[in-house]
Amino acid sequence: MATMQLHEVNTHGSHIYNNPRHGLRITGFVVLVVALAAAPLVAGEYQLHALIVSMTFLLPALGLNLILGYAGMLSFAQMAFFGIGAYSSALTAMRWGTPFWLNLIIGGLAAGVVAVPLGIPALRLRRYSFVMCTLGFAVIAQTVAKNLVSVTRGDLGLSQVPRPRIALWSGGFEVTGITSYYYLALTLAVLAVVAFLALVSSAAGRYMIAIREDETLAASVGTPTWHYRMIAFALSAVFAGVGGSFYVHYFTVISPTVFDPFYANTVLVIVLGGGVGTVGGVVLGSFLFVAASEALRIAPDLRMIAYGLLLIVIVFACPEGLLPLFMRKLDGLKGRTHVA
Amino acid sequence: MLTDAVVNGITAGSVYALVAVGMTIIFGVLRAINFAHGEFYMLGTFGAWWGIETLDLPYIVSIPLALIIVATIALAVGVLVMKRLIDQPFQIGIVATLGVSLVLQNAVILIFGGAYKMFDGGWIEPVEILGVSLSEQRILIVVAALAIFGLLELVVHRTRFGKTIRAVSQNIEACKVVGVNVPAVVIGTFVLGCTLAALSGVLTAPVTVSLYGGMGTSITVKTFAIIVMGGVGNVSGTLFAAWLLGLMESFVASYLGLQFRDAVAFTALIAVLTFLPGGLFSKRERF
Repeated sequence: MATMQLHEVNTHGSHIYNNPRHGLRITGFVVLVVALAAAPLVAGEYQLHALIVSMTFLLPALGLNLILGYAGMLSFAQMAFFGIGAYSSALTAMRWGTPFWLNLIIGGLAAGVVAVPLGIPALRLRRYSFVMCTLGFAVIAQTVAKNLVSVTRGDLGLSQVPRPRIALWSGGFEVTGITSYYYLALTLAVLAVVAFLALVSSAAGRYMIAIREDETLAASVGTPTWHYRMIAFALSAVFAGVGGSFYVHYFTVISPTVFDPFYANTVLVIVLGGGVGTVGGVVLGSFLFVAASEALRIAPDLRMIAYGLLLIVIVFACPEGLLPLFMRKLDGLKGRTHVA
Repeated sequence: MLTDAVVNGITAGSVYALVAVGMTIIFGVLRAINFAHGEFYMLGTFGAWWGIETLDLPYIVSIPLALIIVATIALAVGVLVMKRLIDQPFQIGIVATLGVSLVLQNAVILIFGGAYKMFDGGWIEPVEILGVSLSEQRILIVVAALAIFGLLELVVHRTRFGKTIRAVSQNIEACKVVGVNVPAVVIGTFVLGCTLAALSGVLTAPVTVSLYGGMGTSITVKTFAIIVMGGVGNVSGTLFAAWLLGLMESFVASYLGLQFRDAVAFTALIAVLTFLPGGLFSKRERF
């Protein structure tokens, strides 16, 4: 189906559209991964850093994409889960010297475990109420991080967080160089994209899409809608938590500023700008909006003005995001129609 | 300590009330939450500060100056953005106004710098009333809030503009059919709501003293809590909800610690959404 049905919205106010291939073509994905794997041959240290940061943002962005693009609910809790993953992973690593893979799991699980009790009241809500409830959670999470001084050291934050230690349990080696970090981030990003694709192509993913399109209809044919909305919410938190875990072991510091709207807005720009409800769009968005602005070293206030203007233009001019727009143009050039 | 907490709570509540009532009437006509609302509060403060610092104006003159500046900006935003939100799904409204908020907030930081600034003006002499000492400015805030709410009730229920606002809030389609200029009502309401937020900012500045570009964000999020508690579109409900939030925050700050104050609004918000989705004063769910 070539045209987006932009005027139809579900009970959550999300657009309904048709994206059977998740906007990701295998050849394109493979070419991108190979190109990224070869990047350290040509890129300087700062460019590598910019790429690492954008791959770190890819994880919470995939999480937001799951809840917004697939289940159809706009959540502002994403960066709170990112922060929860970062803090829990950092604290475990500092106290017990756990290896990297375990830290990732702890970060993801901690976020997922917090998401479930939050989801119980929040998922009863629709539309604005849900948005505000998740926003409220982000504010409370920041307040806790600032004030639980005995654990989080408050505004000072945690510093000297251990670097990722690659080992089955003890021993192993520590990742220190920028190139090793880069390949670690790339591995993580590829795994995350593959996991995300597997998830949204599975039965659970199709249930989520059904809920996004028409929750009442989905429920009427026996979809346990509450169940799958909760799964989407918790898994979006897990993605963000794993991203937070990598973030903290890369920067080796964390403070309550991670809950600032700056990060949440960046993730929103990635997802909406790249293409909500697609995988390729979110990948494109991370590199386009994060790597580009990192690499160009644009001042934060200018960057936020650009993000703001971008959000306004996107919602009115191309609400489906850039990637679907590019793909349609590309298909148009080839004289091919997009078949569902 | 108890009277101090009550006085502080009522003052803070009156400040919130002026901001929140603007958001409530905008939501009424547009069915859109204005994520940039706190930014207009911030712009009001900055407008007056700029008048006092750069133009050497007295505080009393800087108030109308700030209001005119903010009304002009709100008019531009209304024409460029808010008008297009009519009949759009709610997520579009959230993202677009979030974009407006990012632009306004960071433009101010870009122009005036990100550092804290001191607001030098207002009537901060303490006076003694019934054994309680409080500054004249605080009295002014409470009196102004009451006067504005009285005026708003009159405007909404007794004037033609108020009538169109209520009509658009009830049924946009029918309004178009009978020839109400819906975009004009939306823009007019938006400018009115944003100017009220700015007025609140100007009146509060002498009490809070410091101002900075990011100050609007926490106001926006507290406003959400208030309009949900008060019931969306309910003008007097907004005033009581704002006072209630001000009092709760003030008591938490006095008896539990200042650091927990900012979590009060959202704890209340989540509790109200969960148990009383229509707000504290109504059984009907509004949104």
